[in-house]
Amino acid sequence: MLFKRKHLDYALAGLLLLLPAVILRSSLREPVNQNGFDRAVLRISSPLQAAASWVVGGLGGLFTDYVWLVNVEDENDELRATNLRLREELGQLRGAAEDLAVLEELVDLKRSTQAETAAAHIIASSINSHFRVNRVRIDRGDAAVEVGMPVISAEGLVGRILHSYGTHSDVLLVSDPQSSVDVVIEETGGRGLLRGVASDDAYFCEIEYLEQGKTVRVGDKVKTSGLGKHFPEGLLVGEIASVDSARHGLYQKVTVKPAVDFSSLDTVLILLAPPPPSDPGRAQNNKSKAAHGVEPF
Amino acid sequence: MRLAAQIVVAYFMLLLLSAVWRLFPWSELVPDIAVLIAAYLGLTAREQAAPSVASAVLIGYLADLLFGTPTGLIALISGLTCTACHLIQGRLLVRGSMFTTVFSGLIALAAGLFTILVRSFAGLLPPGWGSEFGTLALSVVITALLGPIVFRTCRYVDSRFARTRRERDAAASGMIG
Repeated sequence: MLFKRKHLDYALAGLLLLLPAVILRSSLREPVNQNGFDRAVLRISSPLQAAASWVVGGLGGLFTDYVWLVNVEDENDELRATNLRLREELGQLRGAAEDLAVLEELVDLKRSTQAETAAAHIIASSINSHFRVNRVRIDRGDAAVEVGMPVISAEGLVGRILHSYGTHSDVLLVSDPQSSVDVVIEETGGRGLLRGVASDDAYFCEIEYLEQGKTVRVGDKVKTSGLGKHFPEGLLVGEIASVDSARHGLYQKVTVKPAVDFSSLDTVLILLAPPPPSDPGRAQNNKSKAAHGVEPF
Repeated sequence: MRLAAQIVVAYFMLLLLSAVWRLFPWSELVPDIAVLIAAYLGLTAREQAAPSVASAVLIGYLADLLFGTPTGLIALISGLTCTACHLIQGRLLVRGSMFTTVFSGLIALAAGLFTILVRSFAGLLPPGWGSEFGTLALSVVITALLGPIVFRTCRYVDSRFARTRRERDAAASGMIG
Protein backbone atom coordinates (compact mmCIF):
# COMPACT_ATOMS: atom_id res chain seq x y z
CA MET A 1 0.00 0.00 0.00
CA LEU A 2 2.81 2.31 0.96
CA PHE A 3 4.70 1.31 -2.18
CA LYS A 4 1.64 2.19 -4.26
CA ARG A 5 1.27 5.54 -2.59
CA LYS A 6 4.94 6.30 -3.20
CA HIS A 7 4.58 5.56 -6.88
CA LEU A 8 1.45 7.60 -7.10
CA ASP A 9 3.28 10.46 -5.45
CA TYR A 10 6.15 10.31 -7.91
CA ALA A 11 3.73 10.01 -10.84
CA LEU A 12 1.93 13.08 -9.62
CA ALA A 13 5.22 14.91 -9.24
CA GLY A 14 6.15 13.89 -12.77
CA LEU A 15 2.87 15.22 -14.07
CA LEU A 16 3.45 18.44 -12.17
CA LEU A 17 6.80 18.72 -13.88
CA LEU A 18 5.21 18.23 -17.27
CA LEU A 19 2.95 21.19 -16.71
CA PRO A 20 5.70 23.87 -16.69
CA ALA A 21 7.41 22.10 -19.55
CA VAL A 22 4.28 22.42 -21.65
CA ILE A 23 3.80 26.02 -20.56
CA LEU A 24 7.44 26.76 -21.40
CA ARG A 25 7.07 25.24 -24.84
CA SER A 26 3.96 27.30 -25.40
CA SER A 27 5.49 30.52 -24.16
CA LEU A 28 8.56 30.05 -26.32
CA ARG A 29 6.32 29.74 -29.36
CA GLU A 30 3.93 32.54 -28.43
CA PRO A 31 5.67 34.80 -25.88
CA VAL A 32 2.86 37.39 -25.83
CA ASN A 33 0.17 34.98 -24.72
CA GLN A 34 -0.99 35.47 -21.14
CA ASN A 35 -3.67 33.57 -19.33
CA GLY A 36 -6.00 34.88 -16.68
CA PHE A 37 -3.78 33.71 -13.86
CA ASP A 38 -0.80 35.58 -15.33
CA ARG A 39 -2.81 38.76 -15.69
CA ALA A 40 -4.18 38.48 -12.16
CA VAL A 41 -0.76 37.92 -10.63
CA LEU A 42 0.75 40.81 -12.54
CA ARG A 43 -2.15 43.09 -11.69
CA ILE A 44 -1.68 42.39 -8.01
CA SER A 45 2.10 42.46 -8.16
CA SER A 46 2.62 45.65 -10.14
CA PRO A 47 1.49 48.11 -7.44
CA LEU A 48 3.40 46.17 -4.82
CA GLN A 49 6.51 46.22 -7.00
CA ALA A 50 6.08 49.95 -7.54
CA ALA A 51 5.69 50.54 -3.82
CA ALA A 52 8.75 48.45 -2.98
CA SER A 53 10.74 50.18 -5.67
CA TRP A 54 9.63 53.59 -4.41
CA VAL A 55 10.55 52.79 -0.82
CA VAL A 56 13.93 51.29 -1.67
CA GLY A 57 14.60 53.99 -4.26
CA GLY A 58 13.81 56.62 -1.63
CA LEU A 59 16.17 54.96 0.83
CA GLY A 60 18.78 54.79 -1.91
CA GLY A 61 18.21 58.47 -2.66
CA LEU A 62 18.61 59.24 1.04
CA PHE A 63 21.91 57.44 0.95
CA THR A 64 23.14 59.15 -2.19
CA ASP A 65 21.82 62.59 -1.19
CA TYR A 66 22.69 62.63 2.47
CA VAL A 67 24.80 59.80 3.84
CA TRP A 68 27.24 59.85 0.93
CA LEU A 69 27.67 63.62 1.42
CA VAL A 70 30.41 62.64 3.85
CA ASN A 71 32.41 61.70 0.78
CA VAL A 72 31.44 64.99 -0.85
CA GLU A 73 33.09 66.86 2.00
CA ASP A 74 36.31 64.95 1.42
CA GLU A 75 35.95 65.62 -2.28
CA ASN A 76 35.46 69.33 -1.58
CA ASP A 77 38.62 69.42 0.53
CA GLU A 78 40.49 67.68 -2.24
CA LEU A 79 39.12 70.11 -4.82
CA ARG A 80 40.05 73.07 -2.63
CA ALA A 81 43.58 71.75 -2.30
CA THR A 82 43.76 71.20 -6.04
CA ASN A 83 42.41 74.68 -6.67
CA LEU A 84 45.03 76.19 -4.35
CA ARG A 85 47.80 74.21 -5.99
CA LEU A 86 46.64 75.21 -9.47
CA ARG A 87 46.45 78.88 -8.42
CA GLU A 88 49.99 78.68 -7.10
CA GLU A 89 51.14 77.04 -10.31
CA LEU A 90 49.33 79.69 -12.31
CA GLY A 91 50.99 82.44 -10.29
CA GLN A 92 54.38 80.81 -10.76
CA LEU A 93 53.80 80.46 -14.48
CA ARG A 94 52.69 84.07 -14.76
CA GLY A 95 55.76 85.14 -12.84
CA ALA A 96 57.92 82.98 -15.09
CA ALA A 97 56.28 84.51 -18.15
CA GLU A 98 56.95 88.01 -16.83
CA ASP A 99 60.55 87.07 -16.02
CA LEU A 100 60.88 85.67 -19.51
CA ALA A 101 59.58 88.89 -21.04
CA VAL A 102 62.06 90.89 -18.97
CA LEU A 103 64.90 88.57 -19.96
CA GLU A 104 63.90 88.83 -23.61
CA GLU A 105 64.04 92.60 -23.36
CA LEU A 106 67.39 92.31 -21.65
CA VAL A 107 68.73 90.03 -24.38
CA ASP A 108 67.53 92.47 -27.02
CA LEU A 109 69.21 95.28 -25.12
CA LYS A 110 72.40 93.29 -24.80
CA ARG A 111 72.40 92.58 -28.53
CA SER A 112 71.74 96.18 -29.41
CA THR A 113 74.37 97.49 -26.99
CA GLN A 114 77.80 97.63 -28.51
CA ALA A 115 79.56 97.83 -25.17
CA GLU A 116 80.59 94.90 -23.07
CA THR A 117 77.89 94.26 -20.50
CA ALA A 118 77.02 92.07 -17.55
CA ALA A 119 73.49 91.29 -16.45
CA ALA A 120 72.42 91.54 -12.84
CA HIS A 121 69.30 91.00 -10.79
CA ILE A 122 67.88 93.51 -8.37
CA ILE A 123 67.93 91.77 -5.01
CA ALA A 124 67.00 94.63 -2.69
CA SER A 125 66.15 98.28 -2.58
CA SER A 126 66.51 100.98 -0.01
CA ILE A 127 63.37 101.67 1.92
CA ASN A 128 62.57 105.07 3.25
CA SER A 129 59.24 106.30 4.49
CA HIS A 130 59.74 109.75 3.01
CA PHE A 131 61.36 109.04 -0.30
CA ARG A 132 60.81 106.63 -3.10
CA VAL A 133 63.42 104.00 -3.73
CA ASN A 134 66.56 105.73 -4.90
CA ARG A 135 69.11 102.99 -4.50
CA VAL A 136 68.96 99.34 -5.37
CA ARG A 137 71.20 96.39 -4.71
CA ILE A 138 72.28 94.00 -7.44
CA ASP A 139 73.83 90.54 -7.39
CA ARG A 140 77.11 91.52 -9.07
CA GLY A 141 80.12 92.27 -6.92
CA ASP A 142 83.54 93.75 -7.15
CA ALA A 143 84.90 90.83 -9.15
CA ALA A 144 83.04 92.09 -12.21
CA VAL A 145 82.08 95.69 -11.62
CA GLU A 146 83.72 98.90 -10.53
CA VAL A 147 82.34 101.94 -8.79
CA GLY A 148 80.91 104.41 -11.25
CA MET A 149 79.99 101.95 -14.02
CA PRO A 150 76.70 102.83 -15.77
CA VAL A 151 73.69 100.64 -15.18
CA ILE A 152 70.96 100.48 -17.80
CA SER A 153 67.74 98.61 -18.50
CA ALA A 154 65.65 98.06 -21.59
CA GLU A 155 63.86 101.36 -20.94
CA GLY A 156 66.92 103.48 -20.46
CA LEU A 157 69.48 104.69 -17.94
CA VAL A 158 69.08 103.37 -14.41
CA GLY A 159 72.01 104.90 -12.62
CA ARG A 160 75.59 104.01 -11.73
CA ILE A 161 77.41 101.72 -9.35
CA LEU A 162 77.75 103.47 -6.00
CA HIS A 163 79.39 100.77 -3.93
CA SER A 164 80.72 97.37 -4.79
CA TYR A 165 81.44 94.78 -2.13
CA GLY A 166 81.77 91.04 -2.23
CA THR A 167 79.23 89.62 -4.59
CA HIS A 168 76.88 92.58 -4.45
CA SER A 169 76.80 96.22 -5.47
CA ASP A 170 74.63 99.24 -4.77
CA VAL A 171 73.28 101.27 -7.66
CA LEU A 172 72.65 104.97 -7.32
CA LEU A 173 69.52 105.71 -9.32
CA VAL A 174 69.35 108.80 -11.50
CA SER A 175 66.43 109.97 -9.35
CA ASP A 176 68.64 110.15 -6.27
CA PRO A 177 69.55 113.71 -5.23
CA GLN A 178 73.19 112.66 -5.13
CA SER A 179 73.12 111.61 -8.76
CA SER A 180 74.23 113.96 -11.51
CA VAL A 181 74.27 113.11 -15.17
CA ASP A 182 75.30 115.36 -18.04
CA VAL A 183 72.35 115.24 -20.46
CA VAL A 184 71.27 116.64 -23.77
CA ILE A 185 67.75 117.26 -25.01
CA GLU A 186 67.49 115.31 -28.23
CA GLU A 187 65.11 117.63 -30.10
CA THR A 188 66.85 120.96 -29.37
CA GLY A 189 70.38 120.01 -28.43
CA GLY A 190 70.18 121.91 -25.16
CA ARG A 191 72.53 120.59 -22.51
CA GLY A 192 72.33 120.53 -18.76
CA LEU A 193 73.05 118.60 -15.63
CA LEU A 194 70.38 116.13 -14.51
CA ARG A 195 69.93 115.76 -10.78
CA GLY A 196 67.53 113.60 -8.84
CA VAL A 197 64.68 115.08 -6.86
CA ALA A 198 63.87 113.55 -3.51
CA SER A 199 60.17 113.39 -4.11
CA ASP A 200 58.08 111.28 -1.77
CA ASP A 201 55.43 110.31 -4.28
CA ALA A 202 57.16 109.96 -7.64
CA TYR A 203 60.49 109.51 -9.35
CA PHE A 204 61.56 112.86 -10.76
CA CYS A 205 64.73 114.64 -11.83
CA GLU A 206 65.57 118.21 -12.66
CA ILE A 207 67.85 119.62 -15.31
CA GLU A 208 70.13 122.28 -13.94
CA TYR A 209 71.95 124.86 -15.94
CA LEU A 210 69.67 124.72 -18.95
CA GLU A 211 69.94 128.14 -20.55
CA GLN A 212 66.82 130.27 -20.92
CA GLY A 213 67.32 130.62 -24.65
CA LYS A 214 67.00 126.92 -25.36
CA THR A 215 63.48 125.94 -26.39
CA VAL A 216 62.21 122.97 -24.40
CA ARG A 217 58.86 121.27 -24.75
CA VAL A 218 57.11 118.77 -22.57
CA GLY A 219 57.71 115.28 -23.94
CA ASP A 220 61.14 115.98 -25.39
CA LYS A 221 63.57 113.10 -24.99
CA VAL A 222 66.48 113.54 -22.64
CA LYS A 223 69.63 111.48 -23.29
CA THR A 224 73.11 111.26 -21.89
CA SER A 225 75.51 113.63 -23.57
CA GLY A 226 78.61 111.48 -23.12
CA LEU A 227 80.32 114.31 -21.30
CA GLY A 228 81.27 113.81 -17.74
CA LYS A 229 83.03 110.84 -16.36
CA HIS A 230 80.44 108.15 -15.99
CA PHE A 231 77.98 107.69 -18.88
CA PRO A 232 78.42 107.01 -22.58
CA GLU A 233 76.57 109.12 -25.10
CA GLY A 234 73.00 108.49 -26.24
CA LEU A 235 71.47 106.59 -23.34
CA LEU A 236 67.83 107.52 -22.88
CA VAL A 237 67.25 109.07 -19.48
CA GLY A 238 63.66 110.23 -19.68
CA GLU A 239 61.43 112.88 -21.10
CA ILE A 240 60.59 116.44 -20.15
CA ALA A 241 57.67 116.49 -17.72
CA SER A 242 57.38 120.23 -17.08
CA VAL A 243 59.12 123.45 -18.04
CA ASP A 244 59.32 126.64 -16.00
CA SER A 245 60.89 129.38 -18.14
CA ALA A 246 59.41 132.31 -16.22
CA ARG A 247 61.98 132.23 -13.52
CA HIS A 248 64.45 135.03 -13.33
CA GLY A 249 68.01 134.17 -14.03
CA LEU A 250 70.07 132.49 -16.67
CA TYR A 251 68.61 129.01 -16.51
CA GLN A 252 65.22 127.35 -16.90
CA LYS A 253 63.75 124.94 -14.44
CA VAL A 254 62.90 121.69 -16.20
CA THR A 255 61.66 118.50 -14.57
CA VAL A 256 62.28 115.14 -16.19
CA LYS A 257 60.34 111.94 -15.77
CA PRO A 258 62.78 109.03 -15.88
CA ALA A 259 62.24 106.51 -18.66
CA VAL A 260 62.78 103.64 -16.24
CA ASP A 261 60.07 102.62 -13.79
CA PHE A 262 62.32 101.98 -10.82
CA SER A 263 59.56 100.46 -8.72
CA SER A 264 59.20 97.48 -11.05
CA LEU A 265 62.84 97.11 -11.98
CA ASP A 266 64.02 93.50 -11.84
CA THR A 267 66.99 92.99 -14.12
CA VAL A 268 69.62 95.43 -15.34
CA LEU A 269 72.72 95.52 -17.47
CA ILE A 270 76.03 96.93 -16.27
CA LEU A 271 78.17 98.55 -18.94
CA LEU A 272 81.58 97.06 -18.22
CA ALA A 273 83.38 98.71 -21.11
CA PRO A 274 82.45 101.50 -23.49
CA PRO A 275 81.28 100.68 -27.01
CA PRO A 276 84.06 100.30 -29.59
CA PRO A 277 84.95 103.55 -31.33
CA SER A 278 83.22 104.30 -34.59
CA ASP A 279 86.47 105.70 -35.99
CA PRO A 280 88.38 102.79 -37.60
CA GLY A 281 91.62 104.72 -37.30
CA ARG A 282 91.47 104.33 -33.58
CA ALA A 283 91.30 100.57 -33.87
CA GLN A 284 95.05 100.30 -33.57
CA ASN A 285 94.81 101.49 -30.07
CA ASN A 286 91.62 99.82 -29.00
CA LYS A 287 92.60 98.92 -25.52
CA SER A 288 89.56 99.73 -23.48
CA LYS A 289 89.81 102.52 -21.08
CA ALA A 290 87.76 102.54 -18.00
CA ALA A 291 84.09 102.04 -18.83
CA HIS A 292 83.08 105.48 -17.81
CA GLY A 293 82.35 107.45 -20.94
CA VAL A 294 84.53 110.21 -22.21
CA GLU A 295 87.00 112.07 -20.11
CA PRO A 296 85.97 115.67 -19.47
CA PHE A 297 87.98 118.51 -20.93
CA MET B 1 -0.73 25.42 5.31
CA ARG B 2 3.01 25.35 5.78
CA LEU B 3 3.52 25.17 2.03
CA ALA B 4 1.06 27.98 1.42
CA ALA B 5 3.01 30.15 3.84
CA GLN B 6 6.23 29.25 2.09
CA ILE B 7 4.64 30.24 -1.23
CA VAL B 8 3.46 33.58 0.14
CA VAL B 9 6.84 34.35 1.71
CA ALA B 10 8.58 33.30 -1.49
CA TYR B 11 6.24 35.53 -3.48
CA PHE B 12 7.12 38.56 -1.38
CA MET B 13 10.82 37.76 -1.53
CA LEU B 14 10.62 37.51 -5.31
CA LEU B 15 8.54 40.67 -5.48
CA LEU B 16 11.08 42.58 -3.42
CA LEU B 17 13.93 41.19 -5.45
CA SER B 18 12.27 42.12 -8.76
CA ALA B 19 11.58 45.64 -7.49
CA VAL B 20 14.88 46.56 -5.91
CA TRP B 21 17.53 44.47 -7.62
CA ARG B 22 17.58 46.79 -10.62
CA LEU B 23 18.76 49.58 -8.34
CA PHE B 24 22.02 47.82 -7.62
CA PRO B 25 25.03 48.21 -9.92
CA TRP B 26 25.31 44.44 -10.35
CA SER B 27 21.66 44.10 -11.38
CA GLU B 28 22.46 41.78 -14.29
CA LEU B 29 23.50 39.06 -11.86
CA VAL B 30 20.24 37.88 -10.33
CA PRO B 31 20.31 35.26 -7.57
CA ASP B 32 18.15 32.16 -8.15
CA ILE B 33 15.96 32.68 -5.11
CA ALA B 34 13.09 30.62 -6.50
CA VAL B 35 15.36 27.67 -7.16
CA LEU B 36 16.81 27.90 -3.64
CA ILE B 37 13.34 27.86 -2.11
CA ALA B 38 12.41 24.95 -4.35
CA ALA B 39 15.51 23.11 -3.15
CA TYR B 40 14.53 23.79 0.44
CA LEU B 41 11.03 22.50 -0.21
CA GLY B 42 12.47 19.36 -1.78
CA LEU B 43 14.82 18.81 1.14
CA THR B 44 12.07 19.32 3.71
CA ALA B 45 9.28 17.42 1.96
CA ARG B 46 7.96 14.76 4.30
CA GLU B 47 6.27 11.64 3.02
CA GLN B 48 4.86 13.07 -0.20
CA ALA B 49 6.87 14.90 -2.84
CA ALA B 50 3.98 16.05 -5.00
CA PRO B 51 2.80 18.94 -2.76
CA SER B 52 6.32 20.29 -2.49
CA VAL B 53 6.87 19.95 -6.22
CA ALA B 54 3.57 21.70 -6.89
CA SER B 55 4.61 24.50 -4.56
CA ALA B 56 8.02 24.74 -6.19
CA VAL B 57 6.45 24.87 -9.65
CA LEU B 58 4.08 27.59 -8.49
CA ILE B 59 6.91 29.62 -6.94
CA GLY B 60 8.90 29.21 -10.14
CA TYR B 61 5.94 30.29 -12.18
CA LEU B 62 5.53 33.41 -10.04
CA ALA B 63 9.21 34.09 -10.55
CA ASP B 64 8.73 33.76 -14.29
CA LEU B 65 5.93 36.31 -14.18
CA LEU B 66 7.74 38.76 -11.92
CA PHE B 67 11.16 38.48 -13.58
CA GLY B 68 9.85 38.43 -17.12
CA THR B 69 11.47 35.16 -18.15
CA PRO B 70 9.56 32.87 -20.53
CA THR B 71 6.75 31.45 -18.43
CA GLY B 72 7.50 27.93 -17.39
CA LEU B 73 11.29 28.17 -17.46
CA ILE B 74 11.98 28.86 -13.78
CA ALA B 75 8.91 26.81 -12.91
CA LEU B 76 10.36 23.79 -14.67
CA ILE B 77 13.79 24.28 -13.13
CA SER B 78 12.28 24.74 -9.70
CA GLY B 79 10.18 21.62 -10.06
CA LEU B 80 13.17 19.57 -11.17
CA THR B 81 15.31 20.98 -8.37
CA CYS B 82 12.66 20.21 -5.80
CA THR B 83 12.33 16.65 -7.08
CA ALA B 84 16.08 16.09 -7.14
CA CYS B 85 16.46 17.46 -3.62
CA HIS B 86 13.63 15.28 -2.40
CA LEU B 87 15.39 12.23 -3.84
CA ILE B 88 18.60 13.02 -1.97
CA GLN B 89 17.07 14.30 1.25
CA GLY B 90 17.64 11.05 3.06
CA ARG B 91 21.37 11.18 2.42
CA LEU B 92 21.98 14.87 2.87
CA LEU B 93 21.63 17.22 5.81
CA VAL B 94 22.04 20.84 4.80
CA ARG B 95 23.14 22.67 7.96
CA GLY B 96 25.64 25.34 8.79
CA SER B 97 26.37 28.50 6.84
CA MET B 98 29.36 27.11 4.98
CA PHE B 99 27.70 23.97 3.74
CA THR B 100 24.49 25.85 2.92
CA THR B 101 26.54 28.30 0.87
CA VAL B 102 28.26 25.50 -1.05
CA PHE B 103 25.01 23.64 -1.53
CA SER B 104 23.29 26.82 -2.78
CA GLY B 105 26.13 27.38 -5.21
CA LEU B 106 25.80 23.87 -6.58
CA ILE B 107 22.04 24.24 -6.93
CA ALA B 108 22.53 27.57 -8.73
CA LEU B 109 25.15 26.00 -11.00
CA ALA B 110 22.87 23.16 -11.98
CA ALA B 111 19.96 25.54 -12.53
CA GLY B 112 22.12 27.85 -14.62
CA LEU B 113 23.43 25.04 -16.79
CA PHE B 114 19.91 23.76 -17.31
CA THR B 115 18.77 27.27 -18.27
CA ILE B 116 21.58 27.50 -20.84
CA LEU B 117 20.56 24.08 -22.15
CA VAL B 118 16.93 25.12 -22.53
CA ARG B 119 17.92 28.35 -24.18
CA SER B 120 20.15 26.52 -26.63
CA PHE B 121 17.30 24.14 -27.49
CA ALA B 122 14.97 27.09 -27.97
CA GLY B 123 17.55 28.92 -30.07
CA LEU B 124 17.70 31.78 -27.59
CA LEU B 125 21.44 31.84 -26.96
CA PRO B 126 23.36 34.75 -28.47
CA PRO B 127 26.10 33.99 -31.05
CA GLY B 128 29.05 34.61 -28.72
CA TRP B 129 27.57 32.73 -25.80
CA GLY B 130 30.88 31.93 -24.16
CA SER B 131 30.35 34.91 -21.91
CA GLU B 132 27.21 33.21 -20.58
CA PHE B 133 29.44 31.00 -18.48
CA GLY B 134 31.13 34.02 -16.93
CA THR B 135 27.72 35.42 -16.04
CA LEU B 136 26.71 32.00 -14.72
CA ALA B 137 29.78 31.84 -12.49
CA LEU B 138 29.05 35.23 -10.95
CA SER B 139 25.38 34.36 -10.58
CA VAL B 140 26.37 31.15 -8.80
CA VAL B 141 28.54 33.14 -6.40
CA ILE B 142 25.81 35.62 -5.59
CA THR B 143 23.20 32.86 -5.15
CA ALA B 144 25.58 30.95 -2.91
CA LEU B 145 26.11 34.03 -0.76
CA LEU B 146 22.37 34.55 -0.38
CA GLY B 147 21.69 30.85 0.20
CA PRO B 148 22.02 30.85 4.00
CA ILE B 149 19.68 33.85 4.30
CA VAL B 150 17.02 32.20 2.13
CA PHE B 151 17.30 28.90 3.97
CA ARG B 152 17.10 30.63 7.33
CA THR B 153 13.96 32.50 6.23
CA CYS B 154 12.35 29.29 5.06
CA ARG B 155 13.28 27.53 8.32
CA TYR B 156 11.78 30.41 10.25
CA VAL B 157 8.49 29.99 8.37
CA ASP B 158 8.60 26.24 9.03
CA SER B 159 9.23 26.80 12.71
CA ARG B 160 6.10 28.96 12.93
CA PHE B 161 4.06 25.98 11.77
CA ALA B 162 5.66 23.45 14.08
CA ARG B 163 3.19 21.53 16.23
CA THR B 164 5.55 20.93 19.16
CA ARG B 165 8.47 22.75 20.69
CA ARG B 166 10.75 19.97 19.60
CA GLU B 167 9.58 20.31 16.01
CA ARG B 168 10.06 24.07 16.20
CA ASP B 169 13.62 23.77 17.46
CA ALA B 170 14.36 21.14 14.85
CA ALA B 171 12.94 23.30 12.07
CA ALA B 172 14.80 26.37 13.21
CA SER B 173 18.08 24.47 13.27
CA GLY B 174 17.50 22.85 9.90
CA MET B 175 16.86 19.38 11.20
CA ILE B 176 13.61 18.85 9.29
CA GLY B 177 14.10 16.44 6.49
